[in-house]
Amino acid sequence: MSGKSGASEISLKQSLRKIEYPSSAKDALNKIVDLICGRITSIKNMDLALDLMAEFVFLEIDRRGHKRGFPLTPLIELQLIELLYEYFNNMSNESARNTVFLSIFSGTTAIMRLGVLTKLVSVAIAIPSATILSSASAWMQQLGNTSQNSCKLAEGLIQDYFYFYNPNTSSINLVPSISPQFTANFLTAVTENYFNFTKRECIFPPKVLMESVTTWVSENPGLCIAAQQKQAVLPPGAIAMEATTPIAGLLRWTVLAPINKQDSQVYGDLHLALLNSIIEIPKVTPPKAIYAQHLTGPINPILSYVNDLRNKQELKLDQILNEDNLQLALDRYAQAIQVIYSVNAVYGHVDDLFHQLKLLPFNKLMSIVISTYKKNKVIIL
Amino acid sequence: MKSQSTIVRNVPQQDLSNELKFFVKGATKKEKCNPLDLTKSALTLLKSLPASRVAVLEYFRFIFDNAALNYIKAIETEIKTGSFLTVPETDEVIVSEIHTLLSVLISGNSVAWAPMISTWSLELLGEISSKYSGRAHFSANLNETLQLWMACRATRTLVDINTKCLSSLIYSDTEASISALLDTSIKHSPHFDWVVAHVGSCFPNTVITRVLSCGLKDFCQNKSYEQGCDSPKLKSVVGILGHLAGSHVEDIREAILAIFNWSLRETFEDTDLHRLQKKATVPYILQLFYLSSTLLSAVCMSIKDTLTIEVIGRLYHYVEDWCRYFGTPEALEELLMTLILRCEQSGAQIIKLLLNCIHLTKIRGNDQMKLNIVEKSKDILFNVLQEMEKSVRHANPVGIVISISKDLKELENMFLSSEKLVFETAGHLVILLGHMNSSAMVTSAQFLLQNATNADQLVLFLKCLTSDLIDKTTPPYSEKGGHFSVVLEQILSRNIQKFFGSNEENLDLSQMWTNLLTLLQWEKSGRVPCLNSKIITRALEANLTNLTSLFSSEVLHMHVIADILDTMEIPKPTESYSPPIQVILNLTQSTVNYFFACCHDDGTSKKLKGFQKVCQILKRLCTYSKVAKVLALRELLESALFRSDNVLFGANNIEHDYEMDKGLLKQNKKINKTIPLTKHSSVFNGGIIGTGKRKSVCFDELPSHVVANNIYQLINAIKACCALLEENKYTDMSWDSMTLLSLLLVQFVSPDVMYNGLPWPEEDFSKVTMERDLFIRRMFTNTPLLWELLSFVAVYRPAICYCSVLIRALTATLMHQWKSMGEQSKSGLSENYKNLMDTTIRVIDVMALGQLLPPPLSSIRDVLPYLKCHEIVAVLRECVWCYMRDHIPSPALFGCDSNLVYWRDPIIARPPEMYTNTLRIIMQRNIKSLGHMYAQMFINIPTHDT
Repeated sequence: MSGKSGASEISLKQSLRKIEYPSSAKDALNKIVDLICGRITSIKNMDLALDLMAEFVFLEIDRRGHKRGFPLTPLIELQLIELLYEYFNNMSNESARNTVFLSIFSGTTAIMRLGVLTKLVSVAIAIPSATILSSASAWMQQLGNTSQNSCKLAEGLIQDYFYFYNPNTSSINLVPSISPQFTANFLTAVTENYFNFTKRECIFPPKVLMESVTTWVSENPGLCIAAQQKQAVLPPGAIAMEATTPIAGLLRWTVLAPINKQDSQVYGDLHLALLNSIIEIPKVTPPKAIYAQHLTGPINPILSYVNDLRNKQELKLDQILNEDNLQLALDRYAQAIQVIYSVNAVYGHVDDLFHQLKLLPFNKLMSIVISTYKKNKVIIL
Repeated sequence: MKSQSTIVRNVPQQDLSNELKFFVKGATKKEKCNPLDLTKSALTLLKSLPASRVAVLEYFRFIFDNAALNYIKAIETEIKTGSFLTVPETDEVIVSEIHTLLSVLISGNSVAWAPMISTWSLELLGEISSKYSGRAHFSANLNETLQLWMACRATRTLVDINTKCLSSLIYSDTEASISALLDTSIKHSPHFDWVVAHVGSCFPNTVITRVLSCGLKDFCQNKSYEQGCDSPKLKSVVGILGHLAGSHVEDIREAILAIFNWSLRETFEDTDLHRLQKKATVPYILQLFYLSSTLLSAVCMSIKDTLTIEVIGRLYHYVEDWCRYFGTPEALEELLMTLILRCEQSGAQIIKLLLNCIHLTKIRGNDQMKLNIVEKSKDILFNVLQEMEKSVRHANPVGIVISISKDLKELENMFLSSEKLVFETAGHLVILLGHMNSSAMVTSAQFLLQNATNADQLVLFLKCLTSDLIDKTTPPYSEKGGHFSVVLEQILSRNIQKFFGSNEENLDLSQMWTNLLTLLQWEKSGRVPCLNSKIITRALEANLTNLTSLFSSEVLHMHVIADILDTMEIPKPTESYSPPIQVILNLTQSTVNYFFACCHDDGTSKKLKGFQKVCQILKRLCTYSKVAKVLALRELLESALFRSDNVLFGANNIEHDYEMDKGLLKQNKKINKTIPLTKHSSVFNGGIIGTGKRKSVCFDELPSHVVANNIYQLINAIKACCALLEENKYTDMSWDSMTLLSLLLVQFVSPDVMYNGLPWPEEDFSKVTMERDLFIRRMFTNTPLLWELLSFVAVYRPAICYCSVLIRALTATLMHQWKSMGEQSKSGLSENYKNLMDTTIRVIDVMALGQLLPPPLSSIRDVLPYLKCHEIVAVLRECVWCYMRDHIPSPALFGCDSNLVYWRDPIIARPPEMYTNTLRIIMQRNIKSLGHMYAQMFINIPTHDT
């Protein structure tokens, strides 16, 4: 049996090798679908599928299994992307599609193929394809939409649509309506890339991106939780991962903006849109929209901001604490906490969250929010 | 934007998908399709499909590469067959459409697109340049390569795109964009140099600095000189800089100086690599200069500010390292020599620097170092001069000679140095320049002549003029009597312009005149061998016209000029040279002017010497030329009698009065205008209202001894004019000249041409001539000099005869005045009486001196003071007038003896009694007081017998 299958493996590869490149890749893809979406999936089939991907689809290895130096020239790569686009776009079976998609772009080769994936998704935005975007959404969710790969994908797309091209003239603004799930996951990933003080260099979102995000969120209050609303169809046996909403991340942006000299009006607009979105989060028990730990993001940056001011010794403590920017940040923070708490959308260690909030410099609203929380808690007790 | 809409089809989403398919198929050569359609499709994708941009640019690579290939092929065909194969038109269209869209992208969003497109275009240019480097007739010459590629649409477009990128980045990210450029350059050097050169000319500052430092880094890695010379990188650097030097000399100079200065600054932070680079900087720069004379001259311009003694002192410590690098000290020296000789800028500065090093006094460091620098500088200077001379002798002057010829000012400064070596070097250089172009030498010589203050400098001046390197066979040397004559001509004519033209040049020629005199004296002394050819005299003779006319205008230097002219002895009796008449006239006129200037002068010794010179010059001139004599006498007399100079000789200057008059006519006209009603109101000359009564004129009279001296000098000058060529034993005056003088006196004093004859008419006739007689009389009163002149003429008989009319006029007026005097005034001895008596005695004196009145009439002067007025009248009328009337005062009365002296023998010429009786009777009547006189005059009469 094993010998036979081994022989068929070789003959399969041989026959594929006789075909010219783009066609061979297409045939290989068909074969891969057969191999991994069949009734019985064995590790062996899986290995063969991976081999086929590496040799015939991505041209990463040659027939002897050695690595090629530069597998894809930009033109060949574009050819492959076009092929993948056609292939996935026309694959109506969502389960099979997601299965193949995940297996192609996950695992050990994920980083190598990330470039192709980014471009594929980019094309799927330019030539709108809800199917591909939903698969991409599933991919992000399964890998974790704040994972490194997701962030890189998001960054690549932002390069394409917000850096090189003007979003107002491209189809990126259609994406929220075409695939809200993808948009939500994309936003979550994007939030990780900016206002991230754990990175070596903290960068801020470009203005065009801010404007688009604000428009999206304010026009569609449900967008942020869209990924949680509809689960993608996954291969059998796979464990569905819960999507993280972009709410906590975007709040981090709006709260930290004033103390990072990002005083554009658009942050205020986004903040308002977020608060509106939060209010509209449907009540579920247990709540799942926002993880309490994610909400603590702004605390450390605020504290270090106050410290910096104090180290400069130009201002008295009194002045520092009453500084307009600091108070605006704290106001926004308190508003968000208040709203989130009031719609009961937060889960996890809420006590811990409030405990940490107490470390912040004094703010009237924040103190009210904290005291209300304490009061309610006492009542519940 | 309009064109863009034609390129990029605005397609619906579905079409974008088709477009992608079409492009992929076409670009991967799956299907053959129209390249123009494919490009349009690519452009559409580039515009609307972000993910495709890398692939599209990749595709454009093929297009540009292909276009370049077609272009090269066309050129190759042209070379082979001679006919030009046109580049496919589609290439042009495609390239231009791509150009348009890329430009739009860059200008629309430069931050994102410019770095990407810039890198892409540079890499592509590099590839294309390398790929076709062996094709067509590519030479190593950067300019040719540049021209060839700039003629190609594809590469030109790429360069343009790149420039656009860089110019949009230049403010945000200069460093990165330039280093990308140089990285590509290093990868594809030297084929890529033309791009760097072109980009460099768009961003000169940045590119030049970077290219230089890049070259230095490479240079450091070479261990030896030979290796360094052959480095392709160095050639690239030179090529690029050489290309940029055309329009960015300033930037290049600054950049080179910047690294030079950087290499001199040692700091503790320097890494080993930096130290190595700093050591190598100067050899590196020298090498660059060696390879490109453009760079050399670019930097030479500022050598003065860059290389100071202090810097040399610092460089000294590097020399050992450099020598090691060049192998031997000789190799370094040779390179230096080559470079110095090649300098076409600031050559004089280099020479000066060497001289400064030789005369090094202060430097930080020990004596040994100072000694070394001085010795080496001497060596180099000597060698440089030798090489220059060699090149000049071979009629192939090196760069530095030409450079120096542009910088004569600097040489002039060197002339004035007190250091012997400095001005001798300058002299050497001038001779070298003079060999090529005598006008440069003439200019320098002019300067030297005007500014030399010591004998050494004058010697240098002569050396320049007489050097064997100076061509003496061609004009202007051969025509105008030597270069010196040209030098003089230029100085003098400029000076003439100063006086006669409006544009003033503040020339101080005093040194020049002194120098000229010194030179002339050297020549006269005969002790200077190089002056034996009399170049000074010849030159002066050639410029006499100017010189003599300057003599009168150069008031400040007249004594020196007089010295020169006197020393020259014009006209020299022994020599063949005959000065032109203009010179004679000029000289005469200006000498006369000089005479009067001397009279005005206060200085005593100069003044006296001046009079001597005047006499010498005038004597030479007047014996040489009659015209000069006439002119000199006329000028002397006229000035002394009538011009303002006459005050010098005691005259009452009447003319001054007129200046004070306001003009009666003018005043009357004015009144007519202001008071129109009173028709007949006139102004009479009783004074001007407001200025008071007319003042009697006061004369500033000179002290009598001054006047006397002036008169003495004037008579001397006149004597000089009238002198004989060779002095006679008995008379030194020429008869002709005295006659001339006498006639001139008549001409000047007598108011008209009538009645100027020698004969004296009847006394009654004086009623007719009384008016002019009175005029003449007034002349004599106002101008006492006339008496002196008359006496002078009287001495040299018989010239006084021609003044007969003057004497007659004086006598007539005297008689008339004595008649009207009346007896009463005698007792009072009034002023009037005294004056009249003095004048009468003077007239009789002159007549006696001129032997017009023979004895005893000649003694009347002693008798007159004892006589009454009517007796005086009788004597004057009966004795003097009647005698003169009957004995016409003409030269015929005088005989010429064997010594050529004219005289009238008083014994033979004794007047008949009819002329003496009146006198005798009157004397007898007054025998009380005139007894002794009577005996003398009438009793003891000398005869030939006793």
